[in-house]
Amino acid sequence: MSSPVPQLTWFLARRSGRRGLHSQLLAAGAAAVGALILLVLTAAYFGSDARSQATAWRTPAPDRHGTAVQTLGTTYLGDRPITVVSLAQLPGRAATPAPPGLKKFPEPGQVYVSPALADLLHSTPAKQLADRFPKVASYGTIGAAGLAAPQELVAVVGRAASDPAVSAAAEPLGMFGQFGGQTARAVVSGFDGTEVSVFTSSDKPAVSIGVAIVAVPVIVLAAAAGRLGAARREQRLAALRLAGATPRQILAMTGLESAAVGAAGAVTGALAYVLLLPALAEIPFGIGTWYTGQLWVGLPWLLGIVAFVAGLIAVSAMLTLRQVATSPLGVAQQADPRRTNLIRLVLFVAVVLYIYLSASSGGSSSRQQLAMLLMFYGTFWLLGPWVVDRLGRITARFARRPATLLAARRLSDDPRGSWRTVSGLVLAGFVAGFFTVGNVGIDDYRFPDQVAVATTSTATARTAATEARTLLRAAGVRATVTASDGADEILGSTTGVVVHVSGGAGQLDTAATTLSNLVPGQLPYTQEYVNAENQAFTGRLGELGTAALAVSFLVATASAGLTAAANVLDRRRVYALLRLAGTPLKLLDRARFRETVLPLVVLAGGTTTAGVYAAFQVNKLFGSTISTSGAVTLAVCVSLGALAMFAAIGASRPLLRAVTQDPAQTAD
Amino acid sequence: MSTVLAGRGLTKKYGSTTALHGVDVAVGVRESLAIMGPSGSGKSTLLHTLAGVVRPDGGEVLLQGERIDSLGENRLSELRRKRFGFVFQFGQLLPELPAEENIALPLMLDGMPRARSVSLARRWFAPLGLDGLEKRRPGQLSGGQAQRVAIARALVVQPDVVFADEPTGALDQVTSEEVIRLLTSVTREQGASLVMVTHDPDVAAHCDRVLQVRDGRISGHQQYTVTP
Repeated sequence: MSSPVPQLTWFLARRSGRRGLHSQLLAAGAAAVGALILLVLTAAYFGSDARSQATAWRTPAPDRHGTAVQTLGTTYLGDRPITVVSLAQLPGRAATPAPPGLKKFPEPGQVYVSPALADLLHSTPAKQLADRFPKVASYGTIGAAGLAAPQELVAVVGRAASDPAVSAAAEPLGMFGQFGGQTARAVVSGFDGTEVSVFTSSDKPAVSIGVAIVAVPVIVLAAAAGRLGAARREQRLAALRLAGATPRQILAMTGLESAAVGAAGAVTGALAYVLLLPALAEIPFGIGTWYTGQLWVGLPWLLGIVAFVAGLIAVSAMLTLRQVATSPLGVAQQADPRRTNLIRLVLFVAVVLYIYLSASSGGSSSRQQLAMLLMFYGTFWLLGPWVVDRLGRITARFARRPATLLAARRLSDDPRGSWRTVSGLVLAGFVAGFFTVGNVGIDDYRFPDQVAVATTSTATARTAATEARTLLRAAGVRATVTASDGADEILGSTTGVVVHVSGGAGQLDTAATTLSNLVPGQLPYTQEYVNAENQAFTGRLGELGTAALAVSFLVATASAGLTAAANVLDRRRVYALLRLAGTPLKLLDRARFRETVLPLVVLAGGTTTAGVYAAFQVNKLFGSTISTSGAVTLAVCVSLGALAMFAAIGASRPLLRAVTQDPAQTAD
Repeated sequence: MSTVLAGRGLTKKYGSTTALHGVDVAVGVRESLAIMGPSGSGKSTLLHTLAGVVRPDGGEVLLQGERIDSLGENRLSELRRKRFGFVFQFGQLLPELPAEENIALPLMLDGMPRARSVSLARRWFAPLGLDGLEKRRPGQLSGGQAQRVAIARALVVQPDVVFADEPTGALDQVTSEEVIRLLTSVTREQGASLVMVTHDPDVAAHCDRVLQVRDGRISGHQQYTVTP
């Protein structure tokens, strides 16, 4: 005989009426948001890797028996880096395959550029940019396969093997080989690459940190979907237990219903992800926006995440119901508040002490560091509800208004629930506060209005300086040219020519262009070159902070909105009766808001402020200033996020009004 | 006995169903009135109409001679909060508030400082046999105890009228007897009137008067001699 569970589950789900439908819609909504954000996080993780790997071909992998010479150089237009790859087929060797993004290996004299560079060449005077490259009738186009992002500025120049630009003279000189692999030269036989570009190398680590911060709150949100409408379901299934259903049947029915609702929601989330892919690809991160293909996670991951979310919701719902499954009479009312224990604080302090002592002693392996990070994260999650509980108790002690008292008592009554809503923001707040406002203690090198070209010796520098004066004069650039014997700041210990340009950014670009061929194989350097690695690193961390905070606000907004709506449905009777007894709707609404605002302001606001303070202290230590644009970004992000959360809670106001509108009927 | 609350010619329709057919009813000062009748007879609608929860389609409701059925929603809410008290079958207490704060809530809603509200609320624990339960939450109280807290909450604002809708419907017979005895006596001691819907004749017998409702009409009166 087949199991009656599926049929009974379907029957009861259909009979659950509008109230049941509301709960199911909310659960499906939470599942959809959870699946969507998990897919976006997965996409960002794989996408950042794909994007980094897309740059690897430009750094040559040496092969003694190679077939071509490849050099990598980086030149700057203002603060925008342009990657220049020069390729020369070695005579008498086998044909070298085409590099990524090109249909064939470039012939000497051919220049291929990325679409963004083509636009820039079109809009910028030739003496500021185009003259850095060999003159051609028309540029070829580098396809997406050879680029990390649509905005990337890349040029591939075909040269003869005898061209000085690809000769040994093009080897990076002095310290310039150290600045994040922006310059390199090797004999190659293909384009497997050895190292990703400095402009994308921080992407994956930054995204990984962001994913680590945000993933747990998202998973918690998805799991919370299984608890939405728990009160209604408990009542219904308690009645079923009393009617003779076995605990196993109850659990099976719950699991089936929740999994179906969760799967429907997760599929919706997955569809939303697919539909939003083009829009997601337009979100800038690091070097620019994304190619849609980079953010496509692939069907196995898509299906895996849908199954994961549906399974998570089913398990969460079944765990919530374990009480009704074992004792049908035990669900009438929650007798005790879900208080938290002091042991949570003790554990947190112990773990922080352990980590501090371990870090002080040094020498821990990366595996140990990962274990410590996980330990901190685990105890951080243990501590959170305890703090919310204390916050609720302290606020209740001093509350004067009924709305504040109600909110505070609610916090203490279910601190874990409140913590789930704001947990992501608490951690993301600190990260965002620290990384967006701070300059992470790394101060940039400041060599404004300077262009330098490295040479192999002081004698060459003198000759080059004389030539540079002539060239610059002919180009109309007012500049002071000196030959450096290796004591100049921008060149460090490297010998070369240092040019102090007057007249602003345009003149500096003209000077850099004019001096492009001053020393064969050596592109001119500006302060952007030496700062590139730091800029890329700090820039990514700042973006990580903002992105983590934005996604956390998204999760918190979804969580707050769904929880608020679910609470209205679960507490409709008490709300209706309070309204009937003359309690103003405004007061009930205010209490609901404060229930979220209190932990949001105190905990998330507190950690964000702590992050800003820490950044400020670190900056002071290194004598650097706080990032004004970062502070503005943080303020805008926090304001918009908070508004979105309040709007999400406010969205359930009509529901509150509806369930209390006709209290005489609702109460019955 | 002077009238505190009166309904005249009360009519109420829900779609094509007429719940009240021109009902006249009057409640005296300190009087307790039980409304009885079979399911769907209109007894709860009558209670809700008298309490200003449901607006009648016809007729009027007067509280101490002042018409209240035409008041705006805000005024009605204020009236229900300040001059009426309510006791329901269950589920009226906020589960996260301890008993004393549940009782103090209506006072705080009227702007009374919290400390004073809670202090006044605590005075109700001894008379209602709730000593020592001040900090308990509704989930930690028995059904009878919870109803006594609800009675205290209804009376703490010193209302003119207490409305009770099946206040003992979820209690066993012994507890029910205790609760109804307390409800009627304390209400009377406080100088308030009581309007109660019940289907239990034993409960109704504690009231001064019983009104029988059938098909939206008053079908009978019964006067008890109730010891105050």
